[in-house]
Amino acid sequence: MARRGTLAAYGGLAILFALLPLVLDPRGYEMRVLCLVLLFAALGQAWNLVGGLANQISLGHAAYFGIGAYASTILQQVAGLSPWIGTLAGMALAALLALLLSVPTFRLKGHYFALATLAAGEAMRVIANSWSDLTGGPVGISVPFNPGSSVWMMQFQTVRPNYYIFLVTLILVTALFWRIKTGAMGYRLRAIKENEQAAEVIGVDTYRVKLVASLLSAAITAFLGTLYAQFQFFFDPDTIFGLAAFSVKMALVAILGGVGTVAGPLIGAAFIIPMEELANSYFGNSAAGLSQFAYGIVLVAVILVNPYGIVALFARLRGGRRRDRASRGGEARP
Amino acid sequence: MTAPLLETRNLTRRFGGLVAVNGVSLSVSAGEIVGLIGPNGAGKTTFFNLLVGLFPPSSGEVLFEGARISGRRPHVIARAGLTKTFQNVALFMESSVLDNVVTGALLHSDLGAARAQARATLERVGLAAVAEVRAGELSFPERARVEVARALCTRPKLLLLDEVMAALTPPEMEEIIALVRSLRDEEGIGFIVVEHHMKAVMKLCERIVVLNFGEMIGDGRPEAIANDDRVIEAYLGGGFRRPDRAGGSDDADGAGGAKGARA
Repeated sequence: MARRGTLAAYGGLAILFALLPLVLDPRGYEMRVLCLVLLFAALGQAWNLVGGLANQISLGHAAYFGIGAYASTILQQVAGLSPWIGTLAGMALAALLALLLSVPTFRLKGHYFALATLAAGEAMRVIANSWSDLTGGPVGISVPFNPGSSVWMMQFQTVRPNYYIFLVTLILVTALFWRIKTGAMGYRLRAIKENEQAAEVIGVDTYRVKLVASLLSAAITAFLGTLYAQFQFFFDPDTIFGLAAFSVKMALVAILGGVGTVAGPLIGAAFIIPMEELANSYFGNSAAGLSQFAYGIVLVAVILVNPYGIVALFARLRGGRRRDRASRGGEARP
Repeated sequence: MTAPLLETRNLTRRFGGLVAVNGVSLSVSAGEIVGLIGPNGAGKTTFFNLLVGLFPPSSGEVLFEGARISGRRPHVIARAGLTKTFQNVALFMESSVLDNVVTGALLHSDLGAARAQARATLERVGLAAVAEVRAGELSFPERARVEVARALCTRPKLLLLDEVMAALTPPEMEEIIALVRSLRDEEGIGFIVVEHHMKAVMKLCERIVVLNFGEMIGDGRPEAIANDDRVIEAYLGGGFRRPDRAGGSDDADGAGGAKGARA
């Protein structure tokens, strides 16, 4: 009963977002902001697979994002390859990196895991900055311009098609997250989150489950990196591998919305991205840095008021038999 | 004669200078109910942790159905049919009781079958009424039972119970004793039971093994153990006159005991 209602709500939301571009200027600022909302919702969802369900808080997901963006862009430059194909190389490379990182990080938990992943993201930034022959170095890289619209080359006159690509991707990633969360793997990931030793002793192959989730999360994040490159047309190492720009923000989107929940990243992105834009437009001209400062203060305030995310806040307001303590962790099922 | 279900050979575990388990050689047959007793810090929990693979032995080995399992990861050992409950209770506290037990059942079943198996097991251990309750909201005795149900769902051949009767009232103990008996009689599951409550151990077990400072100092039928001078001296402290020790906390059960069972 509740599940059908929830499904209807998601369906309604998807239709709303599908219709929204029809009333907006296809080259307008609002469209760009909405594209970013969809992108970050999808990024938060991909991050949520490992960070939310298994509580392996990664602060290095920009590594996968940047690999996806660079792989498809470089393959377009040197071989004229479609980004749809190029992204496969990016996804494979990102999964390979996740596999390599899993060896030293899987015994780590909490802060130590977060620090190790953070270092991995930063390492990728340094590599991209110094390996100029491949990446173009600190000056950045541009997606080769193909005049006209082409789905095959993922290049369009307006951002409206990009918007729909983002939207469809978000829907697919959300559906995948929901499947995993409610399936056998979701049980195993939650078991790892709540008590890894107990999970092992009752037969959960904890390394393998974490690895599968990380590979999926990395590959999806790389795909989103390609979508971002085709949307932005230009990026540089400090942005694409940036800690604040992507690594932290995609974690924040999930955490602020509600870690480990289906709705969390959607709500988090719908809140954070417009707020950041608003802060930029209010303070951007008057004082450099003030916008980031204001944005930071609002984030701190929200987290202080509501440390378990917006979804948990709704669950709490709705009351029912869930008590305050119940709103930590993996409940608040949408 | 077939190979024993479980065999340890000279099993030893050191933590720095402390020898928590020292040269224990023990064999347990299928369907046996063995009591493992000893004072706090005797190495009982560490011994369990070695058996289920939570850490490797410093020397010696563990064989299960004739195959060497020491050094394997715990989930491999669980799949082979050997698992344990945690002394200080290591449930998935934020999940419902049912979800806890389902996670165990997923070892051998897909989700649909695992749910059915979990419900049936909860029924059997008398927890059907709290299936949807969050594990963290249960009382300690109830949590211990969820531990048992979750472990049972992995279909063990040998189940190690680490103080599941601690803090139980005598009638609740009787229930657990009856449950363990029926599981052995109907499904052939073997048990090694760590318990401080001597009466319960004497009643439930056909054989008792005694650890003291990591060494095995006794192995025999309950009445023989109760009259063994070494055991009385080491464990009971002169005269088997105070059988009713309430189940203590046993934190000092080897440095690794505490470490191994941490949530």
